[in-house]
Amino acid sequence: MSETSIDPDRVRSILTRYPQGDGSGLIHALQDIQAEFGYVACEAVARLCEHLNIPLSKAFSVATFYKAFSLEPKGETIIRVCTGTACHIRGSQILADELSSLLDVEPGGTTKDLKFTLETVNCVGACAMAPVVAFNGVYQGNVQPGALTRKIRGGK
Amino acid sequence: MSEKVVNLEINGRGFQAREGMTILEVAKREGIPIPTLCHHDALEPVGACRLCMVEITHPNWRGWKGLVTACLYPVEEGLQVTTESQEIHQVRKTILDLLLARCPDAPYIQKVAAEHGVTATSFKKNEVQTVCILCGLCVRVCAVKGCNAIGTARRGIRREIAAPFGMPPPDCIGCTSCAHICPTDAIPWEDVNGVRKIWDQEFEMVRCVSCGRPIMPVTQLEFEAKRAGISPDYMTTCPACSQQKTLETIRTAFTIKRPASEDAVEAAS
Repeated sequence: MSETSIDPDRVRSILTRYPQGDGSGLIHALQDIQAEFGYVACEAVARLCEHLNIPLSKAFSVATFYKAFSLEPKGETIIRVCTGTACHIRGSQILADELSSLLDVEPGGTTKDLKFTLETVNCVGACAMAPVVAFNGVYQGNVQPGALTRKIRGGK
Repeated sequence: MSEKVVNLEINGRGFQAREGMTILEVAKREGIPIPTLCHHDALEPVGACRLCMVEITHPNWRGWKGLVTACLYPVEEGLQVTTESQEIHQVRKTILDLLLARCPDAPYIQKVAAEHGVTATSFKKNEVQTVCILCGLCVRVCAVKGCNAIGTARRGIRREIAAPFGMPPPDCIGCTSCAHICPTDAIPWEDVNGVRKIWDQEFEMVRCVSCGRPIMPVTQLEFEAKRAGISPDYMTTCPACSQQKTLETIRTAFTIKRPASEDAVEAAS
């Protein structure tokens, strides 16, 4: 699980934002951990549980319940291909397949060099720009497969 | 629980109960059978399995009636409960049909389903091998015990009972409460040569000071002693041996010599 080492000081700085022994901060703290390390790291959660005085099993339940949390390390760039109705009609499947073969990962997977994570999402709410691909939360509309190739090759 | 007494009807018979009791508690007390899977008297009810569905109505409800879980619904004045009807049977059958689809190989589910007239599932059988019905009894008993070693993970069709991060749970004391409370024996464990194995962990067992039989894991002994605030030495005798000891103590304490006068009377006759 610990493919990247977790810096205890960075965990501590997250913990100081939450009052000790108050379990209600669990989800916010997990989000902070996810934002800091790119995923919900086991070691960080263990420290968090000690700080908030909640059982590890509870934090694990919450972390696995929400799709927003990932227990595996994610890539530097998270590519989200929208597969909503509008995007689907305008060829999002071709984009997802193109990215899959370019990066050599299935949707949901991360490249071995931890540069990219490919995901599909059901709708990003920007149907007018379909098909939409989001790079680390930055939306790109009317995406063509060729543009993806250039972007990935350029960034790789 | 309040001391207020309410009158209710179950299957047309009148009963009295304390306000705040659940329908299931009253029915159990009166010997009226209601099937359950996720209920245990020692734990808070959660209504996970839905098998205890009963029909309720009330004279003031103008003919409205509804199906509720008996384990969760608190009794109230004038409540009229029906525990057996065609509709209820149909609901229970559907639940067991679905459980059989999830766990086709669980003997206990097969047995309960057969008792309700369901011998085979009408749904597509689960491809994942499991006998866990996700009733959550194990998680709840672990919480009551004070360990919180295991919990549920993921959600929807991927939901499962799991140890945190798939590792041997650090909070587990090896008491096997989870395995014993499980209605379908879904949690494997074993005791071999004074070592207990559960949740991918091994626990060294404490042996009885009199007979040498393994009693419980060292971790559990320390946990129980700390929680009860007593010395661990109090629990190093197995139940059979401590019963024997108590018996001997009582025997010695209550062996009263017969008065000499009685002996004299017996000899004379």
